[in-house]
Amino acid sequence: MEEAGLARRAAGGDPEAFGALVERYAPAARRVAGAILGPGDEADDAVQDGFLAAWKAIARFDPDRAFRPWLMRVVANAARDLHRRRKVRQAGELPEHAASRDPLPDRAADHSLFRETLRAALETLPERQRIAVVLFDAEGYGHAEIAEVLQVPEGTVRSYVFHARRALRQALGAFREDDA
Amino acid sequence: MTDITPFDDRPDEALGARIRAALDRPGIEALVARVRGALVEADSPWDVLARWAPRGLVAAAAAAAVLWFLMPAPAPAPVPGPIASAPVQMEVSPGQAEAVVLTVALLEGR
Repeated sequence: MEEAGLARRAAGGDPEAFGALVERYAPAARRVAGAILGPGDEADDAVQDGFLAAWKAIARFDPDRAFRPWLMRVVANAARDLHRRRKVRQAGELPEHAASRDPLPDRAADHSLFRETLRAALETLPERQRIAVVLFDAEGYGHAEIAEVLQVPEGTVRSYVFHARRALRQALGAFREDDA
Repeated sequence: MTDITPFDDRPDEALGARIRAALDRPGIEALVARVRGALVEADSPWDVLARWAPRGLVAAAAAAAVLWFLMPAPAPAPVPGPIASAPVQMEVSPGQAEAVVLTVALLEGR
């Protein structure tokens, strides 16, 4: 069934329809949460929190509107909440040092290094730029949809994507095309 | 990675694939199962009621409004006059009068 039909049924309180939407959007939700928190267990916690929050608020969702920006906004908010709580938790702790990794000599190591560098480059971006570039380039969302997720004008989304891409290009410039 | 065009209005599929690879982890099925389980656990009867209540209230209000418009206005009830001013009239037939006299005589032992 297509998204609009599932969303309409879910908005009417149908748990099966909402479950189908969970299945459909969990990978993207995980990447968005991972872009905010870093890929890991906390991102999965945020995905769960986000879906639960969306289900509890489903009666407020307007089925005449697109479902995925609404859902991603809820998931992104859940990830931000978790991020804030984590910052409060870590406030008194010593800063975490990056684990030292032995360089691996093979191509797998190159791929791994590329992924790590890309993750690190994403982390350096402001949160909204990160979400914008992940949704635009990795998830194929349009500017208008991202504007709805981030609650900013479309022009601002274009600016976020532009700056994020430029920063990523600079960070990854040293890699050859086949390292990726 | 030098082919990323920041001005491009279309998604950069090469960059997108690399971002997905950087953020993806194995075990998406386990995550979906976990979320679905959490949804079932979280769905107490009160949650179900809360989800349906706003729609139910709106529907009930709409139905009440429709009924209110459709129902004819009730005719005003006739107003009775003051009791003190109502004429009192006793009609006693001749046979009834005799029965009353007989009853009174029996009661008084005459």
